[in-house]
Amino acid sequence: MATTKQRDPDGWQSRLASRFARFVEFVQDTDNDAVAVGALGALSLVGAFVGFLVTSPYTSVFLAGFLVAIAYGWLRHQELAARGVTLAMTVSTVVILALITFFIFFEAWPILADRSGTLFGIPVPGLKLFTTTSWTPAEGTPRYSMLPMIQGTVLVTIIATVVAGPLGVAAALFISEIAPGPVREVVKPGVEILAGIPSIVYGFLGFTVLSPWASDAFDLVGQGTYLFVGIVVGLMALPTVVSIAEDAINSVPESMKSGSLALGTTDWQTMTAVTIPTAFSGVSAAVLLGVGRAIGETMAATVMLRNTPTVAEPLYNVFYGFETLTSLIAANYGSSSGFQKDALFVAGCILFVTVLVLSIGSQLIERRMDRKVGGVE
Amino acid sequence: MTRDSERPADRVTRRKFLLTSGAIGAAGLAGCSSGGSEETDTPKPSGDGSSSGGSDGSSDGSDGSNSSDGSDGSSSSPNEPSLLTGEGSSTVYPIANEGASYWNGNAPPSDGEYWGSNDEGSVPGWSEIETDKNLADYFATQHGFEATDERSNPPYRATIGLSHSGTGCEAVTGGLVDIGNSSGPITAELGWSEEEANEEVVDHVLGRDGQPVVVSKDIADAGIDQLTGEQIRQIYQDEITNWSELGGPDQEIFCIGRAVGSGTDTSFRLNMLGDAEAEMPGVDTRQGQNQGVAQLVRQNEGAIAYMALAFTGEQVQPIAIDFDGTVYETSKDAENTIFDSAYPLNRDLHMYTQITDDTPSGTDDREGAFMRMFLTQFGQTVFVEGNNYIPLPTADIEAEMEKLPDTA
Repeated sequence: MATTKQRDPDGWQSRLASRFARFVEFVQDTDNDAVAVGALGALSLVGAFVGFLVTSPYTSVFLAGFLVAIAYGWLRHQELAARGVTLAMTVSTVVILALITFFIFFEAWPILADRSGTLFGIPVPGLKLFTTTSWTPAEGTPRYSMLPMIQGTVLVTIIATVVAGPLGVAAALFISEIAPGPVREVVKPGVEILAGIPSIVYGFLGFTVLSPWASDAFDLVGQGTYLFVGIVVGLMALPTVVSIAEDAINSVPESMKSGSLALGTTDWQTMTAVTIPTAFSGVSAAVLLGVGRAIGETMAATVMLRNTPTVAEPLYNVFYGFETLTSLIAANYGSSSGFQKDALFVAGCILFVTVLVLSIGSQLIERRMDRKVGGVE
Repeated sequence: MTRDSERPADRVTRRKFLLTSGAIGAAGLAGCSSGGSEETDTPKPSGDGSSSGGSDGSSDGSDGSNSSDGSDGSSSSPNEPSLLTGEGSSTVYPIANEGASYWNGNAPPSDGEYWGSNDEGSVPGWSEIETDKNLADYFATQHGFEATDERSNPPYRATIGLSHSGTGCEAVTGGLVDIGNSSGPITAELGWSEEEANEEVVDHVLGRDGQPVVVSKDIADAGIDQLTGEQIRQIYQDEITNWSELGGPDQEIFCIGRAVGSGTDTSFRLNMLGDAEAEMPGVDTRQGQNQGVAQLVRQNEGAIAYMALAFTGEQVQPIAIDFDGTVYETSKDAENTIFDSAYPLNRDLHMYTQITDDTPSGTDDREGAFMRMFLTQFGQTVFVEGNNYIPLPTADIEAEMEKLPDTA
């Protein structure tokens, strides 16, 4: 006993041994053909993946092997096959995400390495992309600054959130708590249809109607303003916010509301004191998802903005709209090469990291609210 | 309910039909067609250049399936030419695409509007063609392909995709398409040296594009119909920001540029600003497509832009430019016009073909026949001038003809 503990202080060896023993037991308990087919399927899948990575012409052979293994397994051992297939699906989702992440950063690396700077004596890759403000890829000394696009994305996102947040939450509250049945039956599908309008349609309306109007009304030189792009993007994010916030408000148990009403509160007091605080995690997740949509929105921004990366002055000047991270990629992918293309991937990295932080943040908020409201603590 | 149950059945029938027709096509290829399917019941006279082995069965088979793998149809045994594909610049697109549309239409000489002549008129340049063959047949048979003598059924089809100059150059050098359309030289688009370009591709120039400088209607109406090259440079480099400095109304200049690094952008920097890497701090907005530029000029006051001639009009008016004392007028009848080859903002429109081991000359017969169409009087007038581009002078046409494979 003591010697085992000395040799295996964390117990990982014995855990591995028991895991292995369970695996052997599983293999022995299972039909031979099922084990063989499972092994064949797994190996083919791994083979197909490797073949895909090295762009081998035999990829299709491995893929066919995998499909045959699944087909056989499905006919003879449906339960086991289903377990295997669902596992493979889950794993492949994660692998695809990892590959995409790796690829974006891999493609962005050359310019990050080239434009590195030193901060407090430590070399930081890509620092010089954030220390200038000019984007001049076609000139004698090309400069690739990300700052104009970051400013643009931040301004558009803030405006869109200001539009979509209050409107969306109010609409969700109305649909879920206030509206009489028939009205709800009409309004809810209507809001969801709004989500089905392609973003280029919003962008085109903005380009041909809103932008020229804003140019006249505010006496601007030319057209393209962050203000109206933000408003359009906010309208596009609205259905997402309404739909998810409405689900969250709807899922507040009727007993809680009834209890509150029984104490003599008015409907409005119940809404503000019970319903909204209870559904707060869902509502904030809805707003954050709307923000995510606003950050990633491409078409409307590309069509409506000026596509000349410039820092607007003063920084809060929303009446001139130059470029966002997404529209930079959309407007330049066709004619870019070399460092300029790598810089577009850097924009992609920034977007990726931002959305990642947002989605992790929304999950953390949700967990915290679950603890607080759900009484799990 | 009934409709639901009918729909899959419908689909099955269609699939069966496709399978059957595919099988018949394959049978025809193998030279053992039995005749009697709808594809083979129209007897066709075989073309005048038919090879000795061309039985009815094989020629019918080749008509029935145009998706066969492509031999490039060398002049000795022209069987199964594959689809001719092209892609690239939006500036070259109107020419190439209209050419492909005419080609695929394969109009008979009795058509009068698209090919040949009849009572109502004849196509431009018909006098030097005078053939009894259909449009695509006429050019394809010169390169050894068999005529189909059928409207809408050319010896092989042509299709043109729309993207960007750089994308078109990459697509043709990557072997994805046969023809890469580019509005700038491939040396600038892909950063190649002249030698590299000469080894990899053949450059066919089938027309010219002028980049007239245009202004919005309010500026043209205010009397500004001519600028000097220097004034335009100052506008684009932010030294002049108001039309009043040029004798126009007190209106700030809305200066429209093109997508950074596009062929149009590069050639404007080179020809107007004097350096392909010149700075353009005066640009207020950039647009990737000519259509977008035209729309912006229509929608905004005080706008100035440069773009392909094909997109100008009442609301988007070209202006004359004075280069070093020579005034290039917008009228076609003037002594020096913006249509001239000498106009500094004119540029060649390129169609690149790739040099491969199979085609050391760089241009195979499929590509050659298609391009020959553009180098006739007919092609220059209909496709190049018809789209407001600038036709080639005779000497250039002869030089371009030299690059094509010999006729059969």
